Amino acid sequence: MIMIKLVTGGAACAVPGSSSSSNPLGALANSLLGSSSKTQERLNELPGTAVTGPSTSLYSGGDNQLSTLPGFENEEQELRHPDAQASEFLRGFRGADHGGFADAWNEIQRPQVPPHGPALRGGPLPYTEFDKVYENGFQSLPQPILDGPPGMVLSNFLHSFMRSSSTGVPFGPAMLPALGLSERDKLCIRDRSSIMARHFFADKSEEFINAQVNTLLHSLDIDSDFRAKGPIPGRYPELEEYWNESQGAIQPVVHNPANGWINEFSQQKSLHNDPEAWVNMFEQQHGAKGWASEFQQEQSQMTSMNQINSANMAAMEQTRMLAHTLSQNNNPKFQNSKFLQFVSKMSRGELIVDDNQIKPAGVSSSVGWAEEYQQQHKGAPTSWVNEFAQNELSHGTNGWAKEFSAERELHGSVDDQWVQEFSKLNVNDWAEEFGHQVGEGVSGESSEWLDGYNEYLNEQQAVKQRSNSSRGVYVFSDMNPYVGRPDPLKEGQELFRKGLLSEAVLALEAEVIKNPENAEGWRLLGITHAENDDDQQAIASMMRAHEVDPTNLEVLLALGVSHTNELEQAEALKYLYGWLQHHPKYGTLAPPEQSASLFFADVAGLFNEAARLSPDDADVHIVLGVLYNLSREFDSAIKSFQSALKLKPRDYSLWNKLGATQANSVQSADALLAYQQALDLKPNYVRAWANMGISFANQGLYEDSIRYYVRALAMNPKADNAWQYLRISLSCASRNDMLEACDSRNLDVLQREFPL
Amino acid sequence: MANSTLKSAALLDQMKLHLSSDAGKDLVKKIGLVYQLNIAPKKIGFEEEIYVVDLKKGEVTKGPYEGKPDATFSFKDEDFIKIASGKMNPQMAFMRGAMKIKGSISAAQKFTPDIFPKPSKL
Repeated sequence: MIMIKLVTGGAACAVPGSSSSSNPLGALANSLLGSSSKTQERLNELPGTAVTGPSTSLYSGGDNQLSTLPGFENEEQELRHPDAQASEFLRGFRGADHGGFADAWNEIQRPQVPPHGPALRGGPLPYTEFDKVYENGFQSLPQPILDGPPGMVLSNFLHSFMRSSSTGVPFGPAMLPALGLSERDKLCIRDRSSIMARHFFADKSEEFINAQVNTLLHSLDIDSDFRAKGPIPGRYPELEEYWNESQGAIQPVVHNPANGWINEFSQQKSLHNDPEAWVNMFEQQHGAKGWASEFQQEQSQMTSMNQINSANMAAMEQTRMLAHTLSQNNNPKFQNSKFLQFVSKMSRGELIVDDNQIKPAGVSSSVGWAEEYQQQHKGAPTSWVNEFAQNELSHGTNGWAKEFSAERELHGSVDDQWVQEFSKLNVNDWAEEFGHQVGEGVSGESSEWLDGYNEYLNEQQAVKQRSNSSRGVYVFSDMNPYVGRPDPLKEGQELFRKGLLSEAVLALEAEVIKNPENAEGWRLLGITHAENDDDQQAIASMMRAHEVDPTNLEVLLALGVSHTNELEQAEALKYLYGWLQHHPKYGTLAPPEQSASLFFADVAGLFNEAARLSPDDADVHIVLGVLYNLSREFDSAIKSFQSALKLKPRDYSLWNKLGATQANSVQSADALLAYQQALDLKPNYVRAWANMGISFANQGLYEDSIRYYVRALAMNPKADNAWQYLRISLSCASRNDMLEACDSRNLDVLQREFPL
Repeated sequence: MANSTLKSAALLDQMKLHLSSDAGKDLVKKIGLVYQLNIAPKKIGFEEEIYVVDLKKGEVTKGPYEGKPDATFSFKDEDFIKIASGKMNPQMAFMRGAMKIKGSISAAQKFTPDIFPKPSKL
């Protein structure tokens, strides 16, 4: 072979009897062909070095090319003449300016980015951020005194956070003593503070809000997102990183790193309540066999690389030196010569030598990659496997199996229910439909049916939860920090006045737990729920208020409005009639015996009479407006609300009522103006935000509607209607990629994707 | 329709108005099918009120369709509201027996919550 002749000749002639490193060519030859016995042995030990298949034949073509290159022949001849020519040749190399070869050299020297690079670098970042905050903590300006028992410290601290909102000064972080907060507490504080912050800073930008919340959370040693939540870098950082990454899209909140995996799983479980779903989810993300095959690929690549690696290490080292020497020369002949290209390729590991044959390595950077990988892992690729196995064992298999069986037991009843439901179906109809479907060749729907089934299971679960909260029964939030406060009603009123609706709900709940007979507490709670766009809870609390004080006019009106919103005509009519009955001025108009059988026309007639009696009573106009909404006489309703607004121009809920009526009668443009008025008067009026979303959606402007729904949900994540509407808008706007975030109620993702 | 006590009647009234808007006209263009809805206050098949949502002409009318609708649905008042507001998936409703379908399945597949307007809240 030419190559052998070239190199052996070169070695023998240029520097006879020497294989020292001073002669790069000779050294190369030694390490390549094993004139050094040590290398030879090593090469022999490795029978598996061959890169198989096409690469061999590929190179044999290249080999021919090399030999037929005219320039190459010349070099060969030149090298055959030892003394004068060869040394001149080498001198020529050295006298060169480096320009043309510098690039090649740089390329060789450029550190290769390991494939795990980004993942590894992602790790420490949150900590540096944390350090920054930590340092700031010492410099930050006067803070409230944070001493005393943990409970006091915490509440003082949270209050200082709230105070910061009124001054508008960014909230400074503070150092706190260890508070011993449980994971659950932390989670609770995290969720509530981010909701509250959205209420506080309804007029501020999203970044500002996030910064505030993060500051608060850092000070409390609560991680604001799951990345920062990551464990102290453990033994398997990459593995965990990878896992988190792959799971992040599904459920980014990991509470406790050690139990992360199991938590993920159980959250997943409760969300989807169906083993299939989990499998689907996984497969969706990784492809059916994706993960396994990826692993196998990597594994096999590793083994082959590993073997090739040690054999070629020495050769590469040598060629690097050779390339360096060559690069000193700028003789154009050499710059373009195949030989130089060959050597530099060799030094970069693109070509490898095996059994006296030269072959291109599979991937240009794969050797480098393998090398990096090995350095990172200090040796065997099997360690990765071991780590994985350990990890799996430590909190994997058993937990998973247990989880699964527990789940089965819990929901076994669901399956039975399903069977019952199924048997209720008219089987003939179904068969007929099926025949139809097959006949029409509608295929591909079957998966939809499967989805339907899965969703059905989910719904069963949801229904079960909701059955506790069946109509008219008030559902209290758990973990209410206002329970036990001396005067939660006052706090609730204060919070409501400030517009912190979700927070006011908690304070008022604490009040009605303390004083279940407090009609004012229930009433304000109901109003708050209505403004927070939750009519079910509003009705439930208003009914309690009504029980305590059946003649309260505001309660009666609120109940009328909420039932109207829920399209419940008869109930709405009953309460609105009650309003008239109990009104000190118009009570005489409404004979009590009539309340048994109410007809819309009669009630409307009575109210019109009342309006004639005192045209300056805004409330009568409001009730009339609601009544006309009930009968879908929207034009009359709009007129009534407009008359009321002349008397009460600063009533934000009245502006919203006008807007909603206009929207329902397809005057969306006017509606948007009215909602804007309402929001100017009360920036965190969740109902108006949600209504704006509805108006955009009804005009077919789905992208816009999504932003408003998300905004409303950020202020009150419990607004179920808005979630359902958001889902519809997402699928109408062809944003199916976000459906999962919607289904898992992941507001972080949604807010990032749809800022307002 | 104002004399109906069904919740669905309220929604269908709004639907009628909605179909006259631009978004409604797009709907007619996109779907172009006729649906007949048999809505029962308490139990499917009893005391049904029949409405026709004609997405060919862009109309909502009370009373049975003259001719053959592309699909006919039967459900309870409450379930229809759930479907139209996105609380319940139509496929699921069908599987639970909460909705019965006659006619073409492919037409029925286009009967989704997004064809109904969402009521705004006072």
